[in-house]
Amino acid sequence: MSSIFSLTMLAESVRIAVPYACAAIGGVWAERAGVIQIGLEGILLTGAFTAVAVTHATHSPTLGLVAAIVAGVALSLGHGQLTERARVHAVISGIALNLLALAATRMGLRALYDSASNSPGIDAFRFGPTGATGGAMLLRVLADPVFFCALAAVAATPFVLRNTRFGLRVRAAGENPVAAASVGISVTRVRLAALAVSGAICALGGAHLAYDQQRFESGMSAGRGFIALAAVVVSGWRAGRAALACLAFGVLEALQIVLQDEVRKTAIGDLIQTLPYVATLLVLALAPRRAGAPEGLGKHAAE
Amino acid sequence: MKKVIAADPGLRAARYPRGAMRGPVMKIEDIAVRYGDCWSIRSATITLEPGVIHAILGENGAGKSTLLKAAAGFAPRVAGTVKIEDGAAAIGMVHQHFMLVSAFSALENLVLGNEPTGSFGRLDLTKARREAEALMEKTGLRVNLDARTSDLAVGERQRLEILRVLYRGARAILLDEPTAVLSPLEAEELYTTLGALAEGGATIAVVTHRMDEVIRFAGHVTIMRRGRTVLSRPIAADERNHPKRLEDELTRAIMGGEPPHEASPPALAEDAEVALSIEDLVLVDAAGKRVLDGLRFAVKKGEIVGIAGIEGNGQRELVRAVAGLEPGVAGAIVLGGARLPAVRSTGDLRKRRRAVAVVHEDRHADGLMLDASVGDNLVLGELDQIDGPAAEAALIKHRIDRFGVNPPDPARRAGDLSGGNQQKVVVARALDRIEASPERALVVLGQPTRGVDVGAAATIHGAVVAAAEKGLAVLLVSADLGELKRLSHRILVIHRGRIVAELPPTAADDVIGRAMLGMEDA
Repeated sequence: MSSIFSLTMLAESVRIAVPYACAAIGGVWAERAGVIQIGLEGILLTGAFTAVAVTHATHSPTLGLVAAIVAGVALSLGHGQLTERARVHAVISGIALNLLALAATRMGLRALYDSASNSPGIDAFRFGPTGATGGAMLLRVLADPVFFCALAAVAATPFVLRNTRFGLRVRAAGENPVAAASVGISVTRVRLAALAVSGAICALGGAHLAYDQQRFESGMSAGRGFIALAAVVVSGWRAGRAALACLAFGVLEALQIVLQDEVRKTAIGDLIQTLPYVATLLVLALAPRRAGAPEGLGKHAAE
Repeated sequence: MKKVIAADPGLRAARYPRGAMRGPVMKIEDIAVRYGDCWSIRSATITLEPGVIHAILGENGAGKSTLLKAAAGFAPRVAGTVKIEDGAAAIGMVHQHFMLVSAFSALENLVLGNEPTGSFGRLDLTKARREAEALMEKTGLRVNLDARTSDLAVGERQRLEILRVLYRGARAILLDEPTAVLSPLEAEELYTTLGALAEGGATIAVVTHRMDEVIRFAGHVTIMRRGRTVLSRPIAADERNHPKRLEDELTRAIMGGEPPHEASPPALAEDAEVALSIEDLVLVDAAGKRVLDGLRFAVKKGEIVGIAGIEGNGQRELVRAVAGLEPGVAGAIVLGGARLPAVRSTGDLRKRRRAVAVVHEDRHADGLMLDASVGDNLVLGELDQIDGPAAEAALIKHRIDRFGVNPPDPARRAGDLSGGNQQKVVVARALDRIEASPERALVVLGQPTRGVDVGAAATIHGAVVAAAEKGLAVLLVSADLGELKRLSHRILVIHRGRIVAELPPTAADDVIGRAMLGMEDA
C-alpha cells in the first residue's frame, strides 16, 4: 500500500491529469464567452492525431505541437462559425465536431499508415533523466514542454479573464451578450477569439496524450473531453478549480493503475478500474446544479 | 407658440461658455421604421436641442421608444433622415431594460466597452476608479463602485447606466421610460440630475408616459400617436403655472381625434339579466405586485362593456383570469349565476371554452400556431366536436367566407398572412364557435383589432356586435378609444388593477384619458 504515497503515484497523477486539465481550461474559455462547447473530445482527438502525423512526417515534435494547436484552433473556430454566425445550436454543432474528429482521424490512420487501430511509434520530446524510479518519472513529466505549456495556460487563464480588457469582454459576452453588444462590443468577434484560445489549449491536451503514448490510437481521447466538461461544471466555470478537479481525477486514475499492479487478477481490480467514473458521477450528482454558469451561455446578442 | 431661447444660436453660444460640454443638435426628419410587417413609426419629425429636457409622450405602441432608438441609430429606418451634429459618437442611450452585466462589479460595468488599459491589455481599474469618482463628484450621481451589480438597487443601477453614458463621453443622453422603475422620490432626483446636465449644455430626451413629469420638468414636449409625431413644441416656464390647460392640450393630442362611428352596439333590453359578474378579483404577480387589485363589475346579457386603460394596468391579466389561465387568481367569476370553478385540467378548460370565447391580445403568442395552416388554426381545439374531414372542411370554408380571410386558402401557412388576416382567423375561431355552443354566455376580447387595417377591423367589429345581438355578454379590452366608444354600452376604466371610473360611450376623450392616467377628478 506504500505505493499510494510514492513519487511514482504523484508522477502518474500529474501525467494523467494534463489532457483533462487542458480540455477543461479550453471548456472554461469557450463557455465563459457564452458558447456551449461539448466538442472538446473531438478537439483532443484531432490534436493528438495531428501532433503524431506531423511529428512522424517531420521528426519534429515541436512542429507536431504547433500543428496540433493550429488544428485545434481551426476546429474550435469552425464550431464558432456554426454557432455564432449560422446560429446552429451549439450542442448539435458540438456533436458534429466530435463525430467529424472521430471519423477523420480514423480515415487519416487508414490513409497514412494503413491501419485501423494505431499509428507507428514516434519520437516525442525526451527531457529529464532516464530510469524507472519514481523521482525520475516525476522529473520526466515535469520537464516536458507540453506540460509546461499546459501549466502556463492553467495559471494564466484566471488572470487574463479577471484582469485584462480581453478577459472582461469575454466574460461580458458570456454573461450578457445583449448588454455587451449595447456598449459597442462585437460579441461574435470576442467569442471567436475566446474559442481560438479554447481550441489551442484543448489541442495541447491532445498532443500531450499522443506524445505520452508515443503514438496515436484510434479513439484515444476515450471520453476525456466529456469528463473535462464535468470538471468545468463542478468548478462553477472557474479555471483554477477546474484544473484541481482534473488533478483529483488524475489521482483516482493513477490509484487505479498503481493498485491494479498490486491486486492484479483479482475481482477487485475490475472494480477499481471504475473508480474515476464513479467519482465523476458522484461529484456531478452532488454538485449544486449550474451554480456559477455564465448567464448568457448559449444566448446571442441579437436574434 | 413661444420662441425658445435655446433655438437661437447666438444666444446659445452666449449661454454656454467655451469649453463647457455642449450636446449635439439632433434633427430627425420624417423618418419611418418598420419591424417585419408592422410599422412602428410611420412619420416622425423632431429636433432635439441641447439645454432643456425633451419629453416624448404617447400611448404604448405609439412609437416613442422606437423614435429614441432611431435617433441613437439602433432602429431599422426605412425612410427619412437623422442629422446629428458632430456625429453619432456623442449619443448615449439608457434602455428601459438595463444593459448591465449582473455578475460584474459596478466599476467593471462602468468601463465595459471603453476600458482604460495598461501594458498587454491589462485593465487599469485604478485609473477608471479615479475618473469615475471625479464624474460622480461632478454630477452628484453616486454609485457604490465595488458592489456586485446584481446587489445594487434599481435606482443605483440606473445611475450607473447614466454614469456609463457620461463616462463614454456622450453629450446627448436618451432615456427610455427611466422613471417606470423608480419610486417618486428617486424619479424626482433623476429629473434634478437631468435638469442640471441639460443646464450644463447636454442634449437630454426622455420617453415617459407620466404627464406630471412632463409638466414639471420638461422644456420641450413631443407627442406621438400611432407612429406619428402629432405635436412638438417648447414648454414655456409660465405655462407651468397653469398645469391644467397644458395637461388638457397634451391629453387631447395623445388620444387624437378618431374617425366617426361605423358599427354601433345593439339595443340593450332594460331588464336584461346579468351574465357575468366579477367579484373582488385579486392577482399577485411573481414580483409581489397586485396586478389585479379587487376588481369588480358586471356585464349583462347582450351588453358590450369596454375596458379602457393604459397598457399594463391589469387588462391582460383580467382577460387571462376570465379565460381560466390564471390559477393564482383570488375572488369570484360568476357566470349565469354560478361561480366558475377553478381550472385544474384541460378538461376544465374545455368546459369553460364552451361558455366563454376568448381572443388574447397577443395573437402570435397565444392565438395562432404560425407554422400550421390557416385551416388547422381555424378549428384548433374542437376537432373532437367535428364529424369527419368533410364537416371540418365545410366549417373551415364557412369561417373563411364569413370573416373574409384573404387569401381564402385553408392550406396557407398562418404565419404568412398579414396581421389583419391573422387576427380574422383568431376572432373567427373564437366567435363562430361560441355562437354555435349551447352553453354560450360570454365573449372576452383582448385588443381585437390591434395592428389591424380599417377593413379587417370593420369585419371584426361587425362580428362582435352580432355576438351581442345573439345575447352573449361581451367584454372588450382595447387600447383604441375610438373602438371602445363605437362598440360599447358602457366604458370601464382600469387603473392599477382596479376599475376607477364608469363612463358612457359619449364621454369626451380627455375625460377618459384623465381617468386612464389615474387622475382623481375623472
